Amino acid sequence: MAGFDFSNHNRNAALHAQGVPLPKATSTGTTIVGCLFDGGVVIAADTRATSGPIVADKNCEKLHYIAPQIWCAGAGTAADTEFTTAIISSNLELHALSTGRKPRVVTCMTLLKQHLFRYQGHIGAYLVIAGVDPTGSHLFTVHAHGSTDKLPYVTMGSGSLAAMSVFETQWKRNLSRDDAVKLCADAIQAGIWNDLGSGSNVDVAVITEEKTTLMRNHLTPNERGRKERNYRFDRGTTAVLNEKIIKREEISKYVTVHELQDDSVTATAETMDVDS
Amino acid sequence: MAALFSGAPPQGGPGYSFKQTPTAAPSGERQHGFYPYTDNGGSTLGISGADFTILAGDTRSTSGYNINTRYAPKLFKIGGEGPENKGARIVLSVVGFAADGDALKERLDTIVKMYKYQHGKPMSVSACAQRLSHILYNKRFFPYYVHAILGGLDEDGKGALYSYDPVGSYEREQCRAAGAAASLIMPFLDNQVNFKNQYMPGSGTGHDLKAKAAEPLPQDHVEDLVRDAFTSAVERHIEVGDGLQMMIITADGVHESYTTLKQD
Amino acid sequence: MATGVLGEDGIHVDMNHLKKGEVNMAINFKDGVILGADSRTTTGAYIANRVTDKLTQVHDTIWCCRSGSAADTQAVADIVHYHLGMYGITNDEAPTTQTAAAIFQELCYANKDSLSAGMIIAGYDHRHGGQVYSIPLGGSLHKQAYAIGGSGSTYIYGYCDANWQENMTEAEGVKFVKGALQEAIKWDGSSGGVIRMVVLTARGAQRHLYLPDQRYEGPGTQ
Repeated sequence: MAGFDFSNHNRNAALHAQGVPLPKATSTGTTIVGCLFDGGVVIAADTRATSGPIVADKNCEKLHYIAPQIWCAGAGTAADTEFTTAIISSNLELHALSTGRKPRVVTCMTLLKQHLFRYQGHIGAYLVIAGVDPTGSHLFTVHAHGSTDKLPYVTMGSGSLAAMSVFETQWKRNLSRDDAVKLCADAIQAGIWNDLGSGSNVDVAVITEEKTTLMRNHLTPNERGRKERNYRFDRGTTAVLNEKIIKREEISKYVTVHELQDDSVTATAETMDVDS
Repeated sequence: MAALFSGAPPQGGPGYSFKQTPTAAPSGERQHGFYPYTDNGGSTLGISGADFTILAGDTRSTSGYNINTRYAPKLFKIGGEGPENKGARIVLSVVGFAADGDALKERLDTIVKMYKYQHGKPMSVSACAQRLSHILYNKRFFPYYVHAILGGLDEDGKGALYSYDPVGSYEREQCRAAGAAASLIMPFLDNQVNFKNQYMPGSGTGHDLKAKAAEPLPQDHVEDLVRDAFTSAVERHIEVGDGLQMMIITADGVHESYTTLKQD
Repeated sequence: MATGVLGEDGIHVDMNHLKKGEVNMAINFKDGVILGADSRTTTGAYIANRVTDKLTQVHDTIWCCRSGSAADTQAVADIVHYHLGMYGITNDEAPTTQTAAAIFQELCYANKDSLSAGMIIAGYDHRHGGQVYSIPLGGSLHKQAYAIGGSGSTYIYGYCDANWQENMTEAEGVKFVKGALQEAIKWDGSSGGVIRMVVLTARGAQRHLYLPDQRYEGPGTQ
């Protein structure tokens, strides 16, 4: 396994010494929570990603797949949560394949804490790990420096205080599945409304012995309203200074060209999420 | 004026409110400091028309990732009668450090009222604008940490709008956005109010294409632009939201309105 | 706050990470040792965990009290747990408390520049009976009759000095530890929550729990 490439370190250090600022990473300013219930575990997250005070993504996914019955909610630096969960997911699958057993949540937690501890907090991943394995339902938090906690209900991220206030007033023992989902969604909403780092929608994942149910956009309390005016520009509003037409015959020398069946169909090479 | 106020906080002063709390050095020794400023976020905007001026501001007040209140007005009537400013024809908007904004408003309001008592006539917008500049410059080395916009009607009854940097540099403009989301709103205004980067379709080819000339917009059109500017800023700036306060100054007086914005 | 905050100049690593500004202790008594600790974990002013278990098992009857950085102490305890497990299997004999303490010291001393870990190791083995060792920040190792550690320990030096007796009974030992920890929790803002204890004797390990809403009188053994 290759690991990180540090070949630009000296150049970047010299640049930084000259006063060049570091690039801004996208942070999932985030509220994430988790809660155990009778027969499983629920995790939930908001969907706002920020870069400083700017909303970078209004509907990002903070619930990450680790294994079919182990999921993870991530706060902190978006890239770090994305890549650490991906690499641990990969290692855990290889481990499951070589042992011939279902992966355990403690194994996942241990891999994560050892990975994060090795990087001394420079990997800014703050995670809530939840899952069901042959030993039962489990819920953990892992901090970027590599410390872990095991609790019946947990919160993390900038909205963790708002969310924890909901748990500390509403949580009770032996919750039903629906009550746990409701409690987690309420905790996330406390973050959405009261923490500026969190916003938009509520994502929920419910893991039981039988199956995992991912409820993407379980609640959407922040849909964009209609604008007062129409901002379509008339054709010709932008000046055309020069024009070059490349014919299909020419371009097909370099790339493969597919004929569209219907004029009304737009070609899509890759689909991308676009705000409506 | 932009040369003086880059939108960046004062040199050596606190940064964005997110990390301005004094942090302890990792080694353990602590630095003590005096942090007299806080950035309370929010945004304001002003547009002047042929016979009206509109000022608008969101009502959210923040510090760091916290919301202080969902309703803290950034728009203030200046002059007129009594604490309600009855019959006022000038409106001041302030964004930045709310405490300084309040102090500045109080000072200007008192001065404009005193002017009427002493001279027996209301202060003109141009005189008020210059006076505000002087108040700001008087604190050149401990500035009011605000971006102010002053609106009213000039001696000819035309919409008048003045914008300021924190130390008093000012100019009369057609439109201006200020505060946290200024960089998001201002390009929209340039394009939709002054028609920047818009050309007349079919008026020529290439470089000969005629630019779309700016013309005074009708009042309802401008009101729509203001609402759209704010609903858009709310989508992409975390410090803007909760409510939109608008004040429209016409020959009939100041009309105030409030609409809600998203609260996340 | 628990997040890696992004400053204007890029990624800012949260140096204010999980600390267990806490109190813990271990004592010798007639039949073995008793470990005790509060349960508070803090990040700045926020209590990240109010029911933390700071008493960590590294072998059957060798336990430790962790204080300082949560990440560092967990990592060290996990490594020692691994080594003692290997030792037990390869030698077909349980390691002594001294062996455990020596491994702890090795790690804490070799990595003293990058660790903030204060450890108290206490254990019972048939050769030496109960023993208590303390490893403060620099990585030195001290065998003691009783040891106290964590930020809250400064408040109970007087209490411990005044009330300590050699060869206490188990009940007297539990009373001594509980009394000391209660004082620390009372006076130290970064100590609090429940009182956890572990009693290590020839009979094995016995856990105790005392809750603040029962005025630290119950529920007792678990």
